[in-house]
Amino acid sequence: MVKGLKRAAIAFTAASVLVLSACGGAGSSGSPGAEGSATGEGGGSLEVFSWWTSGSEAAALKVLEDAFTAAAPGVTFKNAAVSGGGGSNARTVLSTRLQGGNPPDSWQLHPDQDLFAVVEDGSAADITDLYQANGWEAKLPDTVTNMLQKDGKYYAVPVNAHRANVLWTNPDALKKAGVSLSETTSITDFVAALPKIKDAGVTPVCLGAKDPFAPAQLLEVIIMANVGADGYNQLVTGQLPFDDPKVRTAVEQFKTVLENVNNDSAVLTWDQAALNTAEGKCATNLMGDWAYGELTNKGKEDGSDFSHVTFPGTSEIFDFVGDAFVIPAENAPNPEAEKVWLTQLLDPKVQSEFNLKKGSAPVIKDASLDGYPDYQKKAAEAFQSTTIVSSLAHAQSAPAEFATTYSDAVTSFLGSKNVDAFLKTMTEAQKNQLG
Amino acid sequence: MSATPPAPPGDNLKAPRPAIESRNRPRFRGAALFMAPSLILTFVFVYGFIAFSGWISVSNWKRPTRQDLTLRHPFGATYWEMFQEERWQASMRNIIVFTVLFLILAVLTGLVLAILVHRVTVAKGLFRSVFLLPYALSFIVTGVAFRWIFNPNSGINKWLVDIFGIENPPQWSTSTTIALPIYQPSGEGFLKVELGIPVALLPIVIAAAWQLSGFAMAMYLAGLAGIPEEELEAASMDGAGEFKQLRHIMLPQLWPVTVTCLILLLHTALKIFDLVVAMAGSGPGFVTDVPGIYVYDMMGKAGRYDKGTAAALVLLFTACLVIVPYLTRIYRKERGH
Repeated sequence: MVKGLKRAAIAFTAASVLVLSACGGAGSSGSPGAEGSATGEGGGSLEVFSWWTSGSEAAALKVLEDAFTAAAPGVTFKNAAVSGGGGSNARTVLSTRLQGGNPPDSWQLHPDQDLFAVVEDGSAADITDLYQANGWEAKLPDTVTNMLQKDGKYYAVPVNAHRANVLWTNPDALKKAGVSLSETTSITDFVAALPKIKDAGVTPVCLGAKDPFAPAQLLEVIIMANVGADGYNQLVTGQLPFDDPKVRTAVEQFKTVLENVNNDSAVLTWDQAALNTAEGKCATNLMGDWAYGELTNKGKEDGSDFSHVTFPGTSEIFDFVGDAFVIPAENAPNPEAEKVWLTQLLDPKVQSEFNLKKGSAPVIKDASLDGYPDYQKKAAEAFQSTTIVSSLAHAQSAPAEFATTYSDAVTSFLGSKNVDAFLKTMTEAQKNQLG
Repeated sequence: MSATPPAPPGDNLKAPRPAIESRNRPRFRGAALFMAPSLILTFVFVYGFIAFSGWISVSNWKRPTRQDLTLRHPFGATYWEMFQEERWQASMRNIIVFTVLFLILAVLTGLVLAILVHRVTVAKGLFRSVFLLPYALSFIVTGVAFRWIFNPNSGINKWLVDIFGIENPPQWSTSTTIALPIYQPSGEGFLKVELGIPVALLPIVIAAAWQLSGFAMAMYLAGLAGIPEEELEAASMDGAGEFKQLRHIMLPQLWPVTVTCLILLLHTALKIFDLVVAMAGSGPGFVTDVPGIYVYDMMGKAGRYDKGTAAALVLLFTACLVIVPYLTRIYRKERGH
């Protein structure tokens, strides 16, 4: 009896070990390109990874999909979009896939430091030949090409430009307070006008601080208004210290603005804050121009329900938040199709259609703006004529670690309102994390 | 063992003792073989990975996609860096305050509900289901609902202002006030946060207790069912009132249930993440930040794999501080019997 039990035990153990090792084997052999290992345009698939899942985003992505399928008939387009958290969920999934040597055919990222991190890891392929073959360098603004290349080699293709320094206003609320804002309003005048708006019984500024990027972006543009585009670029690269008097002035102004925001800012998201502005609950709201699509989708009319002006003191600056696509350097599932895909992205017609749907500005000069709403025309022209800087709040202009320290320091500031502590934290971070 | 009669001296061959041992040995081996697969898996996938996490937390591995397992100098610098951070200190303060308040509220509510449901004679099943229902919800759902309930401009405040005419209703999760402060940071010392009870945490405590007190209730109901009816009858015959019966007969017998309940809820409290994310996020000045959000931000957003791992391990050891003594006690008790 005992002997029989023992044998059974041994058999069971052996069996389970075998089963387990079989699982392990299956897992590891299912890695790169086991499925869809097709070559060229003749077949197979193209898997595109992004965080574009909302209405306007998905419609814009469809434009890219259609352009690709027309150029490469026979290759199946696989949409591998992951929703949520402004891309942070997608990034978690993507980093697991990259670590496991199982990259998608192409994935979305931000230009500048976000791209450079991927380039340093050796994950993104050098696509300089595509740039040369298509003459893209001449079509893109110089500042933008610098955000796409490292050591003279290109790694990513940009698709759109969002402007982060736009102040959305409620015309009725401003009228009631007797305040008018124009492209020439200075930051000091704007900050001085806030109490006046408050006295008229209107909340001066709506802020949706549940997303930490919103207050971080607000402070970023106030800093830009004080130190200019050059000063801002030096600040995010560590050449201008955060304890500079001009930056201090900016943080003091930010403090005044915070005294004039809605009392539920901590639990509102950015889109709710934008909508509240259009509905007259507050007079102004700083948000990137992705808010434009959000407002028009909710049936708000530009000109009557809401209006827009470049954030005071930054009319000559384009605070750039963009998206770009890269292809994998290693384990590329379908290299030929990937190149076709990238080439389509900067086609003038595709650029024009895609950005109309996405609510952003085309990145190339020769994209037609026919049919664009007035706001988008204005943004597209500004992208070609003003100084382009890269956003810190969206982790473009500095490495992720520094951008997170900045965003955390802003979150602390929302509670403490301690200017000295903020400047000290940031000056130290510049020393430790940049360079 | 104590039941085994002592072996008569001199009778070596037929002594019961060796016989038992020789029968036990193969049994032990068989058991070991049965256990082996799960033991190996546990060691590799639990303890092996905890050890690996320990290594990562003292290494130079920053960006998730760029593995770097060289040791960071000086040893443990990441922990020191983290402990000095204002955000981490706020997270730890919050999780301790949250855990204590949540456990008290959830267990007390559970006990009261259980006693009420136990006493009710009609529709007992209905009440039991109604109170247990929130437990079936996802924390995200609870979080979104309570975010609106405790919004300073709608929900509860709407009643407070419109019906009761209160002029300055509480700010709930948007408040940056620290109640009952016991320490004010000087700006120079190691502690950078005000110690006390962040008022913004209270709505989150209420939401969490709302969701989980049904679970505590279910456990207490099982405990109450185990109390012999005769004891209560005897007590009431001796003139003990409702309260005395509760105090001297029910509560002492419910003590093991209370301990189990606390331990089971404790780990939910320490790991809390989704509810806070849905309800308030990190909050202004990190008044509602918790280690779970800290770990997520460090690993996903900041590209600090080492710091995120260090934070996760500190969280694990905090849980162990409570759970290990509990397990040791139980283990000792079992051996004692």
